[in-house]
Amino acid sequence: MTDRRETWLLLSPGLVLLVVAFLLPIARMLVLSVQGPDGTTLVHFNRFFQDAYYPLVLWRTVYLSAIITLICMVIGFPLAYIMARSTPRIRLWLVIMVILPLMTSVVVRTFGWMVLLGRSGLIASSLRDLGLAGRSFQLMQTETAITLGMVQVLLPFMVLSLLGVLVRLDPRLEEAARTMGCSFLQTLRTVVLPLAAPGLLAGSILVFTLSASSFVTPSLLGGARIEMLAGSIYKNVTQTLDWNFAAAQAVILFAGIAALLIPYLKLGARPHG
Amino acid sequence: MVRAVPGWVRIGAWIFVLLAALFLLAPLIVVMGVSVSEAQFIAFPPKGFSLRWYEKALNSPAYVDAFWLSLRLAALVTVSACILGGAAAIGLSRARRSGGVVETFFLSPLVLPSIIFAIGLLMVWSAIFGPTSFHALWLAHTVVALPYVIRTTLAVLAERDPHLEEAARTMGATRLQRLWFVTLPQCRPGLLAGAFFAFNISFDEAVLSLFLRNPNLVTLPVQIYGQLEFSPDPTVAAVSTLMILITVALMLILERMLGLTRFASG
Repeated sequence: MTDRRETWLLLSPGLVLLVVAFLLPIARMLVLSVQGPDGTTLVHFNRFFQDAYYPLVLWRTVYLSAIITLICMVIGFPLAYIMARSTPRIRLWLVIMVILPLMTSVVVRTFGWMVLLGRSGLIASSLRDLGLAGRSFQLMQTETAITLGMVQVLLPFMVLSLLGVLVRLDPRLEEAARTMGCSFLQTLRTVVLPLAAPGLLAGSILVFTLSASSFVTPSLLGGARIEMLAGSIYKNVTQTLDWNFAAAQAVILFAGIAALLIPYLKLGARPHG
Repeated sequence: MVRAVPGWVRIGAWIFVLLAALFLLAPLIVVMGVSVSEAQFIAFPPKGFSLRWYEKALNSPAYVDAFWLSLRLAALVTVSACILGGAAAIGLSRARRSGGVVETFFLSPLVLPSIIFAIGLLMVWSAIFGPTSFHALWLAHTVVALPYVIRTTLAVLAERDPHLEEAARTMGATRLQRLWFVTLPQCRPGLLAGAFFAFNISFDEAVLSLFLRNPNLVTLPVQIYGQLEFSPDPTVAAVSTLMILITVALMLILERMLGLTRFASG
């Protein structure tokens, strides 16, 4: 047996699993999306784009995901920077603070938000007590609720992506900038931020992708009225059993994600040759 | 910290970190609070203290069955993901030259949202085998857990001493002996960390489990999801708290054995 054969022997069980249980299902989904009663058809896509309702769902998915990504960037960058520049002991605690929610089931975290955001929840009742909101004020089943919940769910991905880049950043670069007369904020803007850009980009793509494709948090916090694309797919698969239409929606989601990921992967592959 | 960071930045940083911690941990704290409340309905801050919702949860067949299903599933997924992922990682570390494309393929379930292949898997499975079964869930969860095992194991293998295997070879060790006595022990911390992630991912996974669910195939997260859609009561909070505590326990073990930061920022 050659070394090469041994390597392939080690790789093949995993490859077989991925081909059978990952590639094949994706291929099947692609095929189903263009399958009609009489052969290949684009009828499911036409139905999606010509409907009054579904383009709205798509648009909501895109802009809410964009807002969620933006908020994750704004909170995630300073948080990751503080983590990277703190002592190892404090950093451990901060990592725990970020990873503990990440490793807790999305269902459980969404439940926490349902309690907090509900009509009698802590947020609504304190706003009422302060006289800032009316009697009927409620946060559940609003886009705000989805955004709040999703930012909490996805922020750890952004922070960890950034942290990976920021901990490798040489602090002497910042010291040099400071000695040359940059203020603290100028140093952040002209030295740290550009060097952290790869992490920021990776984190943003990850957060946007995950946000556009999640349905557990949006459907529990947004309710049936404020639907997002993934929730609509889930409904079509499990309730209306319209699998071809669900597949077509999944293809639209898939195409959007691929349009984001492929340029990024190409960009990332270049320096390595 | 860089020297001469302005004082207001330091104070601001502390306030910011505290607010971020509050935001990130709030849902977990709330769930835990609700679970020990005496009130009949969901209330936070909790009123009184009682463990009766835990008693109710532990006496509910729906929750207990779902718990055992999730536990069995997570244990099997951990085993299968570690065997396949460990082998793949060793293979990838040897095929460094041509391994780039293969590695990207192996890690692709990490970037591609699981909803996209969940729907495809459901369709393929129904076309071939009919109704979904435990095996379908096992297969699906192994696919999503695999990249984590590969990543942690590859990270460990990248730091190993490659001469060790070379030495074993010159001393006449066979392929199998080298794999078993040299490479596998070198992988151990990575495999162990991967095992924790695999278990945790399977135990908490909701998307694939929701797509592949049927009345006889309800995992714990799916059971909770169903309750949340329908009528959440403090029992859900008790079950959720137990899930949080399992995660905390897993993290503590991982930190004690291997150190968390090592795998967090890689």
